[in-house]
Amino acid sequence: MTANRQHLPRLYLVTSGREHTDAAGLALRQAEAIGASGPVVFQLREKGLETARLYDLAQRIRPLLEQSGSPLLVNDRADIAMASGADGVHLPESSCPADSIRKAFPGLLTGKSVHSVQSAMDAAKSGVHYLLFGPVFATPSKARFGAPQGLEKLEQVCRAVPIPVFAVGGITPEKSFACIERGAWGIAALAPFLDPGALSTTLETYRSYMPI
Amino acid sequence: MNLPRRFLCVITDDSRCPVELAGMALEGGARMVQLRRKNASGRELYEWSVRMQELCRHHEAVFIVNDRVDIALAIQADGVHLGQQDLPAAAARKILGPDAIIGVSVSGVAEALKAEEHGASYIGLGHIYPTFSKDKPTPPLGTQAIGEVRKAVGLPIVAIGGIDPANAPEVIEAGAAGIAVISAVTGAPDPVSASKELVRRIWQ
Repeated sequence: MTANRQHLPRLYLVTSGREHTDAAGLALRQAEAIGASGPVVFQLREKGLETARLYDLAQRIRPLLEQSGSPLLVNDRADIAMASGADGVHLPESSCPADSIRKAFPGLLTGKSVHSVQSAMDAAKSGVHYLLFGPVFATPSKARFGAPQGLEKLEQVCRAVPIPVFAVGGITPEKSFACIERGAWGIAALAPFLDPGALSTTLETYRSYMPI
Repeated sequence: MNLPRRFLCVITDDSRCPVELAGMALEGGARMVQLRRKNASGRELYEWSVRMQELCRHHEAVFIVNDRVDIALAIQADGVHLGQQDLPAAAARKILGPDAIIGVSVSGVAEALKAEEHGASYIGLGHIYPTFSKDKPTPPLGTQAIGEVRKAVGLPIVAIGGIDPANAPEVIEAGAAGIAVISAVTGAPDPVSASKELVRRIWQ
C-alpha cells in the first residue's frame, strides 16, 4: 500500500481497456515507464480480462509503481484490488453501490466516476475518497457519455463536494490548467498516456501545469 | 452456513430474471442457488444478490455468487463459486473469512486437490455429460470421475454438466453430494416442477 489519502497525486492514468489488442502488455509497459517519475494514480481498467488474469496483472504492476509511490487502483473489482494488494478500487457509475464497498472494504482507497452534481454529492456522502468527473471536453473514448460537460459544470461539482475531484475527458496539458482553476484536484486521462515511450515526458508536461 | 446433505443447486443464466428464477427453484426444493451473470454490471449483481440472499435465507438454502467475491462480501452472501479463471480460493477465503462457503470448479483430481489445499468448501466437478450450456472444448468426464475425485479429496462434490432427471440418480450413486443444473431448470417450461422432479430423483 503506497497511497496517501490526504494527498493524492495530481495526475491520474487510466489504462487502455479492451480497445487495445494487447491491453495487458501495454498496461505493464505503462507501469514500467512511470518508473522513477513523480507519483501518478494508476487505474487498471481492463474489463476484457478474466478475473484470474486481471489479478495476475495487478500483482505484476504493483511493484513497478512502488518506486514512484504511485497508488494502484483496480476498476470495479474491490475483491481483485484486495487480493492483489492494490491500494484501492475505482467504481464506475454502474458499480456495486459505493457505500456497500466502503463498508465491506474499509481499507481500500475508493473512488467513483460521476457525471452530475447530484451523483457527485451522493458519492461524497457514501464515503468515497475522490471523484472522477467528465467528460469535461470532447473526446472519442468518452463519446458514449454524451456531450462534454464543460468547465462550468466541473466547477459546480468541485464546489459541491469536500473531496478531491479529477477532471477527465479531452484534457490536454494546456487545458489542464483551466480545470485546476475551476477547483479540480487533478486531471485524469487515457489517450495521452498510451505511448509508454513518451509517457515520462508527457507526464512532466502535464505536471508543469499542476500546482505544487 | 453448512452445506445441505444431497441437494440440487440451480445456477442462473440470461434467460430469466435471476431473482424470479431463484424463487421458483427454491419453491421446487433447490437447496443452493448460484447467481451467475457474466455480463451484468456490479450494480445489477448487487441488487439481485440482496434479494436472492433474502429468498435463500427464508428457504434455509445456500446463496452463492459466481466469481464476484466483492459482491459476496458486500451483501454478506453465504459464499462464492469460483471457476479456474477466477480468483484463487485462498484469496477468496482471506477476504470472506472462515465461515464462507467457497466452491471451486474443477475438471479432475489435480485441480480438486489444489482447491482443497486452497481452502475450498466444495468441489464443482464437470462436465459429467455432454452439455450445451457452455462451450466445452473437452469431452465429458463421465460419472467415474466423481468416484476418482471423491477418493482423492475429502470435500463434498457437486456434479455439473448435462444432468437431468434421468441421469441424476447415477450421479448421486457415483458419490456426488449435489447436482448443479442450469438449462434443465432455466430452460424448462415450468422451473418449479423441473426442480421438484430433479429433487425427487436425487432422493430416490
